[in-house]
Amino acid sequence: MTVAAGVDVGGTFTDGVVIDPSGRIRTGKVMSTPQDQGIGVVAALEVIAPAASTDAGDQVTRLVHGTTVVTNLLLERTGARVVLCATAGATDLLELRRQDRASLYDLSAQHPTPLVATADVVAVDERRIPGAVATPLTETTVAAVVREVLARDPEIVVVALLHAYEDDTHERRLAEALQAARPELEVVTAAAVLSEIREYERTATAVAEGYARPRVVRYLEGLGARLREAGRPMPAVMTSAGGMRSATDAARHAATLALSGPAGGIVGAAAVLRSIGVPDALTIDIGGTSADAGLILDGEPLVEGGGLVAGVPIALLRVLVETVSAGGGSLGWIDDGGALRVGPRSAGAVPGPAAFGRGGIEPTVTDAQLVLGRIGLEGFSAGIALDREAATAAVARIATRLGSTIERTAQAMLDIANAEMARALRRVSVDRGVDPRTCALVAFGGGGPLHAAALADALGMTTVIVPPHAGVLSAVGLAIAPERREAAMSLLERLDALPVVRWRDACAALAAQVDGAERSWSLRVRYLGQGHELTIAVTPDDAPQALIDRFTAAHRARYGFTLPQPVESVALRHVASTPGVAARFARDTDAAPFDAERAIDHGGSADITFHGPRSILLPDATAWIAEGWVATPLAIGGWMLRREAAR
Amino acid sequence: MTPHTVHTDSAVLDPLEIAVWASTMAMIAEEMGAVLIRGALSPNIRERRDASCALFDAEGEMVAQAAHIPVHLGALPEAVRAVRACAPDPGDVFLLNSPWHGGSHLPDLTMVEAIADGDRVAGYAVVRAHHADVGGMSPGSMPQGATELVQEGLILPPVRLERAGIPDDDLLGLILANVRTPDERRGDLAAQRAACAAGAAGWRTLLARHGRERIAGVVQGLVRYAERRATARLQALDGARGTAEDVLEGDGISEALIPLRLALRIQGGQLHLDFTGTAPMVPGNVNCPIQVTRAAALFVLRSLLDDDVPTNAGIARPITIVTPEDCCIAARSPAAVAAGNVEMSQRITDLLFAALADAGVEVPAQGQGTMNNITFGGAGWTFYETLGGGQGASAHGSGPDAVHVGMSNTRNTPIESLERAYPIIIDRYAVRRGSGGGGIHRGGDGVVRAYRVLAPCTVTVLTERRARAPRGAAGGGDGLAGENRLNDAPLPAKCRRVLTTGDVVELRTPGGGGHGVTEPGSPTDPH
Repeated sequence: MTVAAGVDVGGTFTDGVVIDPSGRIRTGKVMSTPQDQGIGVVAALEVIAPAASTDAGDQVTRLVHGTTVVTNLLLERTGARVVLCATAGATDLLELRRQDRASLYDLSAQHPTPLVATADVVAVDERRIPGAVATPLTETTVAAVVREVLARDPEIVVVALLHAYEDDTHERRLAEALQAARPELEVVTAAAVLSEIREYERTATAVAEGYARPRVVRYLEGLGARLREAGRPMPAVMTSAGGMRSATDAARHAATLALSGPAGGIVGAAAVLRSIGVPDALTIDIGGTSADAGLILDGEPLVEGGGLVAGVPIALLRVLVETVSAGGGSLGWIDDGGALRVGPRSAGAVPGPAAFGRGGIEPTVTDAQLVLGRIGLEGFSAGIALDREAATAAVARIATRLGSTIERTAQAMLDIANAEMARALRRVSVDRGVDPRTCALVAFGGGGPLHAAALADALGMTTVIVPPHAGVLSAVGLAIAPERREAAMSLLERLDALPVVRWRDACAALAAQVDGAERSWSLRVRYLGQGHELTIAVTPDDAPQALIDRFTAAHRARYGFTLPQPVESVALRHVASTPGVAARFARDTDAAPFDAERAIDHGGSADITFHGPRSILLPDATAWIAEGWVATPLAIGGWMLRREAAR
Repeated sequence: MTPHTVHTDSAVLDPLEIAVWASTMAMIAEEMGAVLIRGALSPNIRERRDASCALFDAEGEMVAQAAHIPVHLGALPEAVRAVRACAPDPGDVFLLNSPWHGGSHLPDLTMVEAIADGDRVAGYAVVRAHHADVGGMSPGSMPQGATELVQEGLILPPVRLERAGIPDDDLLGLILANVRTPDERRGDLAAQRAACAAGAAGWRTLLARHGRERIAGVVQGLVRYAERRATARLQALDGARGTAEDVLEGDGISEALIPLRLALRIQGGQLHLDFTGTAPMVPGNVNCPIQVTRAAALFVLRSLLDDDVPTNAGIARPITIVTPEDCCIAARSPAAVAAGNVEMSQRITDLLFAALADAGVEVPAQGQGTMNNITFGGAGWTFYETLGGGQGASAHGSGPDAVHVGMSNTRNTPIESLERAYPIIIDRYAVRRGSGGGGIHRGGDGVVRAYRVLAPCTVTVLTERRARAPRGAAGGGDGLAGENRLNDAPLPAKCRRVLTTGDVVELRTPGGGGHGVTEPGSPTDPH
C-alpha cells in the first residue's frame, strides 16, 4: 500500500504519522536523536510504516518533515560564517538594530550578538535613494568588494543594500561578480529573500538565510542519504508558512524553516476544523517547556510576515504563532513579595517534573495536574511512570510556605500558567481584530487538552475542540500539508492612481514565477503615512477602487475608524499551492470502543456524554473536562467540549 | 515583612492569585498599546513607539501600564488627577498636554477616557503619545530658545473631546487649526481614541465578569503587592545615604551650567530624595514639572527591582521627594519645558544613580545621559527623532552599544522609511567605535548619524553631555562626550539653524562610562 508520511522532530519525541490511500491515519512515537535528527526520523518511519514487511507493508511515497534544525542553530549560534556586503555608511545595521534596549529596566541586559562579526561586514561604495541612484556601482568598486570578500574566506556571502527592495540591480551585479570570481561560493541577495522596505529587518532576514543555509543543506543531504539507504523517498520540508517545499527548494530557503514544527500543528488543526465545519478558531499547543498560540480564520491558518526567532528578526511569511514559556515542566516558586509564581524556568526533560522520579524536587505544572487527579498515573506519553507521592511532596513544599493547602496551591499553579497562556491567545486574536468569543479553541500537544476548558473560560469562549491525534497533531499536519510556493514584490503605489494595467501586470508577473494548482494574491495596504499595513485578499480582476473599499472596511473592522487619507499599497504577495494529501478523520473501527468506566478513549467508537469535572484519557494525551463543561465524542475522533451554562 | 502584613493583604488578595491578576491587568494595557501602534500615522508613534498606555481605577489608582517609555511612567497619574478635578461624566474623553495639569511637555498629547459603566465612571483609560507637531514657534514643537510655555505650542488643559460619547468636532477643528500637520494629527488622535476604547472595553468586561467590589479588592491587592516588593528591596538597602551633584549644560538661551543636587536616604523601606540646592527655574526650556522628576525617581527604583514586578501605583508609594520652592525640576507656569521632559529627566536619572552609587548601592556607570533630540522642519513637513548612545558598564558586564538609556526607549526611524517620507538622506548611520569608556567592563559605544537635507529647512538640536562626558564607575574610564556638527564645523549642544539644500548635520552621541580599574594583565571585555 502506498502511504503519505509526516515526521515531526521535537525536543523529546519524534512523532510519525502515515495516511493510507483511503485517508486512514496511523501514528507512532520514538525518542528524538538531537545529535542527528535524521536517525530519529528514520526510526519513526520504521515504527509507523515498517519497510521490511514488504508483502503487506507500506511504500512511503511522500514524506514531509518538520525540523527544528534552523531554530536550534539560531538559538545555539552554530550557523555558517557569513560575510555581509552592505551600503557604505550603513554597515552597522545589525549592531544598531532598532536602538531600543533589550530590557526596559535591566540596564545591563544585552541584545543577542549579531550573526555576522563586525569585521566580516564589507562596505560597498554605492547608494540608491528613493527612485534614483545617488552613487552608481562602478566596476572598480565591484572588484574591490570581491577582493575584500574573498580575503575573508567566507562560507557564504549575503549582499544587502539600501533601497534594493525598489531595484536590486546593484545586489545582483555584486552576486554575479562574486560567483564569477569563485564559482562554488554561495551568494544570497537580500531583495531575493525579502523584497520589502525597512533595511534592518530585510538585512537581518537575509543574514539569517545565509547563516542557516549551509547547515540546512548539509542536514538535508545527510537525511536524504539515510532515507535513501532505508529505501525511503526524499523528504519535503514544512516551512514556517504552513506549506511544504521539496528538500532542494527548502535548501535555498533555509530561513523559511525557522518555525517548521509549530506550523505543522496549526495546519493539522485547520484540517480537523474543516472536517467538522468550524471556520474560526484559536489554537493552543502545549508541550513541556512552552505553549504556542495560533489563529485559524475561515479554515486556514493565519499567515503573516514578521517576528523574531531566537532574537533574530525573520520578516518572512509565517503561520502566526505566539510562544510563551509555560508548559508541563514550568516550575512553581514564591517571589520576594510573597506571591506564588509559575515559570518561566522549566524543569525541562531532565530532571523533569518531580513525578518523573528523575531527581526533580520542585513542583511543576504536571505535578499540579497529577496532585489534582487531572492526569492518571498511566496517563503520560511513551510509558513514563508517574510518582504521585513525589508530585504531592513537591507541591506540599511550597504550599507550607504559602500557608495554604496542597490542593489549593496546585490549583493556583494551574491558574497562573493558564493566565500566561490566555494572554498569548488574547494577543494573537485581539491584535488582529478578532474577538476570541467568536472562535472555538483547538487544544493539542501533550498538555493542550488539560488546559483547554480553563483557557476558554478565561477568554469567554464556549467551544473547545480536542482533535483526534491531539498528541501528534503536528505530524498529522505535515503528512497532509499542501505544497506551497510564494512570490512577493514591493508595490509602493497610491491606489487612487494605480492604473488597471499596472495592477494586472503585477499579479501576472508574480503568477509566472511559481507553479501551483490553486492561486491566491494578497496585498499589504495602509493609509499613506501609516507604518503598519493590513493584508487584504485580492484577485487580478479587482478594480483599484475595490481594493480601496476592501482596505477601508478592514481598517474600520480592526481599529474602529477610517481616515480621509489616500490609500497606498506596499507589497503584493502571491501563493501558488498544490493540495496535499486528504486525511479522513474518523474513529478507528479496529480500535477498542470507549471504556466508559475508566473514561479511556482508545480511538474506537464512542457514544457518550460526559459532564465535568472529570478526565478522559486519550490515546496520546489527557483531556480535562472542567466543571460546567460537557464533552461529547466527535465522529472524526477526539472530543468537543461545550460550556453548559453561563457563568 | 511581618506575618501581620501578609495576613492583612491576603484578606484583600490571596498570594495564590496575584500572578493571575497581574497578568490579566497587564493584558489590557498591552492591548491598548497594540491598537495604538498599529493604527497611528506618524513615524514617531508607529515606528519609534514614543507612547504609553495605562489603565486606572475609579479612584485614580494606576492599575497597569504597558512598558513603553520610562518618562511616562510616573507621570500618567497626574493626568488622571487633572481630569478627575474636572468632574468627568461617564464616557467623557479628555485631551490634555499642559504641564501644569498633568502633562509633561506640549508634544505629549494625553487622552483620557472616563470609562462609562452604566451611569458611573468605572475607571480611566489613558494614552499618551508624542505628536510630531503641536504648533508654537518652531516646527516639531521642540524649540530651542523658548522662554515661555506659550511659545512651545498649543496649550491644552484637560478639555472634553467627547461628551458622553459625542465628539466635539469644533474643538478638534480648533486643535487641528493650530498645528502644522493636521492630517497626521487627526490620524494619530484617532488611533489614540481607538486605544482608549480598547482599554475601556477590557476594563468593563472585567467588571461585568467579576463585579465591582471584587475588582476593587484585586486592584488594592495588586497595588499593595507592588508596593511590598519595592519596599522589600529598599529594606535590603536600609540605612543607605548618598549625595550627588551634576549639571545641565545650559538652557538653550545661555550656556551657563545649571547645577542639580541630591541627598538620598533609604530608611524604613522608604526612598527619601531631597533636591535642595538644585537650581531655580531657568529662562530656557529645560525646566520640567515635578511629575517628570517623579517619573525619573520611579524609573530608578524600578530598575532596582526585578523585571516582573507589576507596574502600578504601588511602586511609587515608598518614594518621597523634596524640592526647593523655585526649582527647575518642579517648574511652574509660565516656564518653558519642552526639553525638560527629554533632557532634564535624563540628568535627574544620572543624579539618582550617582547618589545610589555614593550610598554604596551597586548601579551601572553613567550612560549617554541625553536623548539627542533632532527636529527638521520645512514647507509642509516636520520630522523629529531621538538617538541612542552608549549605556554604562556594570559589575556584571559591558554596557550595551547604541541603545536608548534612562528615560527613553524609542526605536529608530528606518533609513528607508525616512528617506521616502522626507527630503533627507542619511549619509551615515554607524556605531561610534571606541566612544565607550575603558575598564574591566567597557562602556557602550554611541552612535553617529549624518543627515543631508535635500530642501531648505530648519534644524533644531537639543542635546546634552556635549562638554561633560558620562562618567565611569569603580575606576572605569569616562565615555566620550557627544559632538554635533554642521558641514563638518562644530555646532552647539542646543541650537536652531536654517539649512540650505546639501547641508549635512551630524550627531555623534556619547559613549557610556566603563566599570572597574584595568590593571596590567587583567582581562577586559573583548570589544
